[in-house]
Amino acid sequence: MDTLARIKQLAAKEFSLEPDKLDAAASLDSLGIDSLSFIEFMFKVEEEFGVAVSDDDLKGIKTLADLERHVASALAAAGKA
Amino acid sequence: MRRVAITGIGIVSPLGNSVEEFHRALAEGRSGIARLPEEITRNSGVQVGAMTRWSPSPLLKEAEASNLDRVSQFALGAAAQAFAASGLDIAASGPERVGVSWGTGMGGAGAVDASYQQVYGKNEWRLRPLTVVMAMNNAAGSNVAVRHGLRGPFANFSTACSSSAMALGEAMRTIQAGRADAIVAGGAEALLTPGTLAAWQALRTLAPADAADPAASCKPFDKRRAGLVLGEGAAALVLEEESHARKRGATIHGFLTGYGNSCDAAHMSRPDKGGQIRAMREALTESGLAPKDIGYINAHGTATSVGDVVEAEAINTVFSESAVRVSSTKSLHGHLLGGAGALEFAVAMHALEEGLLAPTAFLEQPDPACRLNHVALKAERIAPPKAVMSNSFAFGGSNVVLIAQR
Repeated sequence: MDTLARIKQLAAKEFSLEPDKLDAAASLDSLGIDSLSFIEFMFKVEEEFGVAVSDDDLKGIKTLADLERHVASALAAAGKA
Repeated sequence: MRRVAITGIGIVSPLGNSVEEFHRALAEGRSGIARLPEEITRNSGVQVGAMTRWSPSPLLKEAEASNLDRVSQFALGAAAQAFAASGLDIAASGPERVGVSWGTGMGGAGAVDASYQQVYGKNEWRLRPLTVVMAMNNAAGSNVAVRHGLRGPFANFSTACSSSAMALGEAMRTIQAGRADAIVAGGAEALLTPGTLAAWQALRTLAPADAADPAASCKPFDKRRAGLVLGEGAAALVLEEESHARKRGATIHGFLTGYGNSCDAAHMSRPDKGGQIRAMREALTESGLAPKDIGYINAHGTATSVGDVVEAEAINTVFSESAVRVSSTKSLHGHLLGGAGALEFAVAMHALEEGLLAPTAFLEQPDPACRLNHVALKAERIAPPKAVMSNSFAFGGSNVVLIAQR
């Protein structure tokens, strides 16, 4: 499964949403994901992929697609991609 | 004076997760106390407790439940039942006129315990971000407010064993003062975790397992009593201003009319007769009742060697000329600490409504030092009394007494 699909699967479980209906380009706000929920979700994403996303990078994440880019580059930097 | 009616009750307890199951177990004298599983007791030395058989579903989705401490889950379960039973339309009442008054002793003990196990036990310092909002003491009440959209007065009390009795009493005051028309009041506790049990065990106040029958480990007022048994769960009551309830044709189970609140100011754990007497008298005075009007007392009765004697003396001082019926149902549901006051008030409410007096189970050898008119061993049915009392006397010297009337 690719990175985005895994992220969508995690998000679907965390927020009780249908994975197929998760638009990667939609804002987190519009998906009903508030900042506290997102921080808890990030924790689970980091656990799942074994990567860390910095606080600075976190601020720039507005969509699941943004998140996927950060995770992918962290994986690449760690030589896991 | 605005009168405060009780229009809905909800219960999550070691004796079942509905009002009906709870009262059935009490009537049958069925104990919810048992040996605790090893993964909970670990090396604490604690042997027995009163666990609640709880499944978050269907109330909570799996992901929701994993983000809520057990104490908040219990609170949500009890509050949902209470609102459903009351039939209160929160939108029609105005969400700003409906509040929450909650009590808990140790809050999100499970979240605290998990974080400490991870940090100190495994030297893993990356904690889940929801740790704080799961563990904080006001989380249970706040989750109830969020779930039901209650924007009126919010309060959270943490006075150990009197927490939820105080939550009920203060909610009564808030409604009387006109600050709210309805308040969901109650308390929850979920502290059966290895670290918390070890701390309680260190106090040397917990009963060991009864050798013949672990379910009979808690024996209030009995010569053989050996200490309290910790329990978990929640109870919630919808308190509502009388005319508000009558206008919508709600079922009124009774009225909360007396709230005594005193502090011993003497000792952190040893109870004081004087403080208890003052709280009982204050509640009677506020209700405009004489001791003879009280038909049943749900005692604090934790089954500690000192506590039961002091409470019996206090009751006998206040009720000198009446042989008021008394029981401690902690023998069956254990000690719910922050949830105890509300849960036991619900027991007293059942006596008020149905005349069903739940027993002090296992009271085969009454201690002469605790001479009371016990409802011993088996439930009894009497003509529904005019009024009932529920006592909650806490570590820290906080004494709360509630009176309900027909």
